[in-house]
Amino acid sequence: MPTSSGLLAHSAMVSPAPQTPSASNGKKKVIYDQDHRGPLSTDTTATLMLLQADNIDLLGICTVTCDMWAKQETAYALRLLELMSRAEVPVFMGAEEPLLNTKAEAQMRYQMFGSRTLGNEGYLGCFAKDAGNRDDLTPLPPPYGRFARIKAQPEPAADFIIRTIRANPNEVTMYCGGPMTNLALAAMLAPDIVPITKEVIFMGGGIHHSSSSVNVYFDAEAAKIGFRAGWPKFTLVTTDLAEQVHLGDDGKVDAIVDRAHAPIADLFRLYEQAPQRANPKRQSFRMPDEMMAAHVIDPTIFGGYDDMYIDIVTHNDGHYGDTSFWDASWKGIGGDTAGLGQNNPSIKAGRVQMLKDINKARFRDLFVDLMTRPINGFK
Amino acid sequence: MSPTRREFIKTVGAAIASTQIPPETAAMSAEPAPIAAPSPAPPQAGGKRKVIYDQDNSGPFGTDILGTLMMLQAGNIDLLGITMVTGDAWMKQEMAYTLRLLELMGRTEIPVYPGAEFPMLNTKEEWLLRLQLYGGHRLDPWLGAFNKNNGGPDEIKPLPAPYDRFADLKGQQDHAARFIVKTVRENPGQVTIYAGGPLTNVALAIALAPDIVPLVPEIVVMGTGFHVFTNAFNIFFDPEAGRKVLRAAWPKLTIVTVDLAEELHESDEIAPGRRMVDEIARRAVSPISDLFQRYAVEPLQQNPGRKLFRMADEMIAAQIIDPSIFTKSEQMYVDICTTPGPRYGDSMFWAKDWEGTADAGRSRVTASDSRVFVNPRQFYLGPPPSAGLVNVLLEADHDRFKKLFVDLMTKPLKK
Repeated sequence: MPTSSGLLAHSAMVSPAPQTPSASNGKKKVIYDQDHRGPLSTDTTATLMLLQADNIDLLGICTVTCDMWAKQETAYALRLLELMSRAEVPVFMGAEEPLLNTKAEAQMRYQMFGSRTLGNEGYLGCFAKDAGNRDDLTPLPPPYGRFARIKAQPEPAADFIIRTIRANPNEVTMYCGGPMTNLALAAMLAPDIVPITKEVIFMGGGIHHSSSSVNVYFDAEAAKIGFRAGWPKFTLVTTDLAEQVHLGDDGKVDAIVDRAHAPIADLFRLYEQAPQRANPKRQSFRMPDEMMAAHVIDPTIFGGYDDMYIDIVTHNDGHYGDTSFWDASWKGIGGDTAGLGQNNPSIKAGRVQMLKDINKARFRDLFVDLMTRPINGFK
Repeated sequence: MSPTRREFIKTVGAAIASTQIPPETAAMSAEPAPIAAPSPAPPQAGGKRKVIYDQDNSGPFGTDILGTLMMLQAGNIDLLGITMVTGDAWMKQEMAYTLRLLELMGRTEIPVYPGAEFPMLNTKEEWLLRLQLYGGHRLDPWLGAFNKNNGGPDEIKPLPAPYDRFADLKGQQDHAARFIVKTVRENPGQVTIYAGGPLTNVALAIALAPDIVPLVPEIVVMGTGFHVFTNAFNIFFDPEAGRKVLRAAWPKLTIVTVDLAEELHESDEIAPGRRMVDEIARRAVSPISDLFQRYAVEPLQQNPGRKLFRMADEMIAAQIIDPSIFTKSEQMYVDICTTPGPRYGDSMFWAKDWEGTADAGRSRVTASDSRVFVNPRQFYLGPPPSAGLVNVLLEADHDRFKKLFVDLMTKPLKK
């Protein structure tokens, strides 16, 4: 009888990443799943926050196609780790394409139904008309001067997620800063990890600003699977919350350029301060991924959350990826009492804790502090 | 009388004009054009074709089990492993039957892998609501694992005769999708995939490892249809997986449609007055004879007018064991509707060479409104962007098919 081979067989080029079962010294164990857009973006900035936080044990970085193609994001993540002298953090390339969505369909839907207008959420990431193809690395400037010498792990991100959560039951926080493709694959391949994951935190969707955002409508099927899976705790940063703070607000960028160490100071000077000075009307981006990082590093920065049900539209039309929210206490607010309407969630809706009430001053302080600390000061 | 949809598609295919337009997939698509290599010869490893057998093996008897028996008995097949997927029954129920069947057949060397317990997105509750909202499926009222009396995913009932008891043989630990990825990578260009159930495991495998797609010389799928019905169980149980697998750029994806499968039934006669199942029950050895006696011959004695099921999975097996049984096939584009409405899981087909047809000329337009992007290569008759290009079986040699089936069932058990 052939025996089980365990995980996928891999080439022996790279040794498997350490599992770090219980050597975190009280630190919070985090798997960082990200559509890591370089050179500097909300994705990259959040990566820097988690790299700089002394209470975080970063078990691994997973990439997923959305803002860029996974191969490009992986190249940026690896080179950033080199620049930050953190080559020990393993990088796992994840899904190169959404479960079903394709560039051709995304483009055609925009033609037929119009792009998303509310909140200017027409962004399509690497499905934009002029964006390159899945395997293009060449049109991209080499990340931060040159490609990294360190290599990504051969294991797919979903397998790393499964293996790591199983090895650290009830201890791993899943940070999902991109579409939930990797998370959905992991949950489908190994439903047993769902109840033993400490927390999932995800950014996407919204109620007032826009009914969806790219991390959801880039892979609506994965979002539906991810939201519905039944994690013990699912924390959501909506676009409504993320729009409350922008990177350019409150002199954050100048403070970081002045006080931060290399390479962080250089990144902010080159890719945020300089373009801003060249074009004062430029609107700097909101800080969704940084808020997720803040929640992981210091959840008390947020004043609370609303308990909500959420579900996702997967119709292949103009509503592809729309989020629907219902108040978790719908029974107490009129419920389905005749004459008062029905407020019930869809039959398989997921349950999320929708963060609200960010303490902007403390968020700013945490962010600037992390960016201006000595690089790896805690090591 | 207007032609049926199937005749129309046949006509379109036959009427390929002498056009110079290179056969190109939807030009809007940013993806690489599906590779449509003409059928590569089935790879023969030591004269045998390596196969991964992915199946919703619903026991005790039926098209799933008979497809399994054919693959177990075929002399030219090297069965690398059996992967289970929820569909006709729950995955664990199927696993129990499959392991015991392997024991009875003396084939305990074949590893069995547990696969997806649930479809990617479809759920029983939403299905039942859709049936009420949009109406039931008149022609195929079958919900498989979601059937009312089927219990939950962990409810494994005692196995009836001739299975009698649960197997001592155990399944593997590894997930079916990982087994598929690993096996295809280790045998590039050599492993044929038999996909007899919903396509969940295969979809997971190619989501995890898209690099395996060009390494599979052929995947044979059962489902979809032209006119018997367009919405077939293996697809509508997990439409998202169906769409993903049918769209992928496999070197060759062969489809057994419901239309073709309906041409042959397990209760058919091999010659006037000689039913296949009687022949097999009489001539086969145990356990095959017992299975046919108990689950085909006896029910037919009680109800002589009864027609047993169409030979869907048996046709997948035939395509892998002896593809020359299928005398006509055609390259077509296919796509699956995943909008959770009344057509959830429906299949749509387009002729590969639609541009060469008479109507295609009329359909080639230029937009007078500059805001409208019109792709002249993909209008009116053409497929939507991202549709898959597949090989659709259209005709079978009934006599040869029946002979193959009876021969495999009645030969001595393969060792």
